Amino acid sequence: MRRRDFVRGLVAVGAASKVLLGQQAVAPPPPPAPVPWLLGLNAKTPMPHVQAAEEVATAELRFFSPQQMATLTRLSDVLMPAVGEKPGAVQAKAPVFLDFLIGSSPDDRQRLYSAGLNWLDAESKKKYNAEFARLTDQQAGELLKPWMRTWLNDHPPTEEHADFVNIAHDDIRTATVNSHEWSIAPERGREPRTEEELYWSPIQPDLSPQSGRALSVPPHVQAIPPSKHRIPSYPR
Amino acid sequence: MLNETYDVLIIGSGHSGGMAAKILTEYGIRCIMLNAGPVADVTRDAQQKHAYELPYRGFRPPGQIEHVFQSNGFNANVWVDEREVPYTAKEDQPYNWVRVRLFGGRSLFWSRQSFRLSDYEFKAKSHDGFGEDWPISHADLAPYYSRVEGILRVMGAQDGVPQLPNGNFIPDDAPWTLALQRFIEIAKPRGIPVCKQRRALGRDGLASSVNLLLPDAEATGKLTSIANAVVRELTVDKNTGLPNGCNFVDRLTHRELSVKARVVVLAAGTLESTRILLNSNLANSSGLVGRYLMDQVYGPGVLASVPQARRGNINAWMGSAAIVPRFRNISTKTDKFLRGYAINTTASVEAVSARNFALYGAELQRKLDEYYGSGFYMTIMGEVLGRYENHVRIDKERKDAWGIPVLHVDTKYTDNEFNMAKDAVETACELADASGFEILSKNDKPNPPGYSIHEVGTCRMGDDPKKSVLNKFSQSHDHKNLFVVDGAQFTSAGWQNPTTTILALSMRASEYLAGEMTRQNI
Repeated sequence: MRRRDFVRGLVAVGAASKVLLGQQAVAPPPPPAPVPWLLGLNAKTPMPHVQAAEEVATAELRFFSPQQMATLTRLSDVLMPAVGEKPGAVQAKAPVFLDFLIGSSPDDRQRLYSAGLNWLDAESKKKYNAEFARLTDQQAGELLKPWMRTWLNDHPPTEEHADFVNIAHDDIRTATVNSHEWSIAPERGREPRTEEELYWSPIQPDLSPQSGRALSVPPHVQAIPPSKHRIPSYPR
Repeated sequence: MLNETYDVLIIGSGHSGGMAAKILTEYGIRCIMLNAGPVADVTRDAQQKHAYELPYRGFRPPGQIEHVFQSNGFNANVWVDEREVPYTAKEDQPYNWVRVRLFGGRSLFWSRQSFRLSDYEFKAKSHDGFGEDWPISHADLAPYYSRVEGILRVMGAQDGVPQLPNGNFIPDDAPWTLALQRFIEIAKPRGIPVCKQRRALGRDGLASSVNLLLPDAEATGKLTSIANAVVRELTVDKNTGLPNGCNFVDRLTHRELSVKARVVVLAAGTLESTRILLNSNLANSSGLVGRYLMDQVYGPGVLASVPQARRGNINAWMGSAAIVPRFRNISTKTDKFLRGYAINTTASVEAVSARNFALYGAELQRKLDEYYGSGFYMTIMGEVLGRYENHVRIDKERKDAWGIPVLHVDTKYTDNEFNMAKDAVETACELADASGFEILSKNDKPNPPGYSIHEVGTCRMGDDPKKSVLNKFSQSHDHKNLFVVDGAQFTSAGWQNPTTTILALSMRASEYLAGEMTRQNI
């Protein structure tokens, strides 16, 4: 309450100084009137077109080390290269996306990736005396193929190393197929399609007790009395 | 309005609560229904999008619904957020509690498979000595099943198999595709029945409480519904000791409110109804509220490929789905496990997932092209035995977003379930092999308990008040004006999807309740 009073005080001071300035100006100020801007927002209002941020923006690494990212990028390129006209995982920016996804994920998933990428690089140095990022397709294949498994939904391999290789393969594929780059590339065969479905927004979200309480706080200023008109929803 | 006393308070708006509301209001009884979540309005809340427009490219938002394997980035927001309403379990005994709090609950999203229980389930103890018999038999429930099947518009065939009783179906006389014909030829001499799937058509592709049940209740003018009403506990009349309403929290404002009613019907879903009873300290003179948590083993299965259907030769061979009802321990007996499992069998016309090939890159894509539309799926639904140790209790340490104590789930599968899963996968592999199908992947490890979303049994019914929570009319042994009409009342789980049985039990309980109220016994 005290903070709100303070804010109101600031607003009053601001208004007062404007009035004083207005007295010095040549033209008299227009009479104050509420602006019924919400009434102008209706079904005929053009909707701005927006892009998914991912299509145009770049992101900095926030989870993987540069070394791990180099390994993940090479791994993505080997497991999901461009086939036909469809982009590969690297063109689809799958590694950068996975840095975000895994970086936001629970500990066990983070450990799986960190340990898995470190292991892959160490194996590569042991066998070829080179970083995994510098291996040829053939060399990388020799490291990876012994760990490829078949598996049913929700039951990826549990064996060490096979778990990382197969889960990462699955994630890299999904991240690639679900990318903007994949969706705009022409289809020539039976490649998987970018998922397109009904997306449910948060429904009257109350995701934290804080947000729920925030809704019960009355607004500071009533702009205009409630309109008698309901604002029509946009047809989709 | 909140000071009014209603005839019946119904907590939950899914199939069980919707059915109670329909039956009771049609008898002229004034009901108030509380639902913990909002109404889902598809035109307002949903939009067609590409995966790359989603926050996580179609992946589940990390941390929000880690235990809902069924979810993805598109539907993530329809499930209960585990950070908002947590539950606890031991680290080595994970449990998947899959919850929806929208109006209509999980009836909005169920798979619509509609099977009756048979007396192999209702009288399971008489058959094999384990557990308890239900206090009712198939004959008691058959008339209600028929009416429920009429409402759901179940399509199926009168297969005439004793472990899968016939019903009131829209006939399915479509011929089997060639892959299923081959499978049936192989299964029959092995004593394994193959039946048509039985699926609720509903109306306009939806078989939910919100379109099949609640409109009837609303048409009577006797139903009042409140959304976003999170029930904290039932209240008790100081003089009579009987439940007389509940305290609830408004989900959005966190305002504490209450309603009064002469009768309380719990229909919040097995574990949520149980949580309310435990938090209210009611109906538990037997000490069995929360005990005998059951569900079904899901996860074990086999994916084979039908060679004749490869390279685009899909139409004649693929496209049917069948149910293999339980066949173990019916006319023969195995010493490896009690009860049995069903096998959902689908000759899919869709792409085979990349997971089924130990390949990558261009080589993988060639294989995916070749195998497209040749996938033959066999997945099991296995009965989980009711055990006293498998239970839920209140976690005294943790509370949800509204300060309501959460559930601790303490349950695990035993050798009976693991042996059943192994047998199912061996049998499915043998059938696929003999049919000439190529096995691509198999798994005999069950998903965590709860995954099937068929959790039942934590307020089981029975004739003996010491061995059960409810009587044969879903009525509390302890409080005559308290009913539990959802899956909590199951005495044994069966292998069948429980929805049709829940609906029939709720209908039966509601008609009994209406009669008792008319006769002024309640």
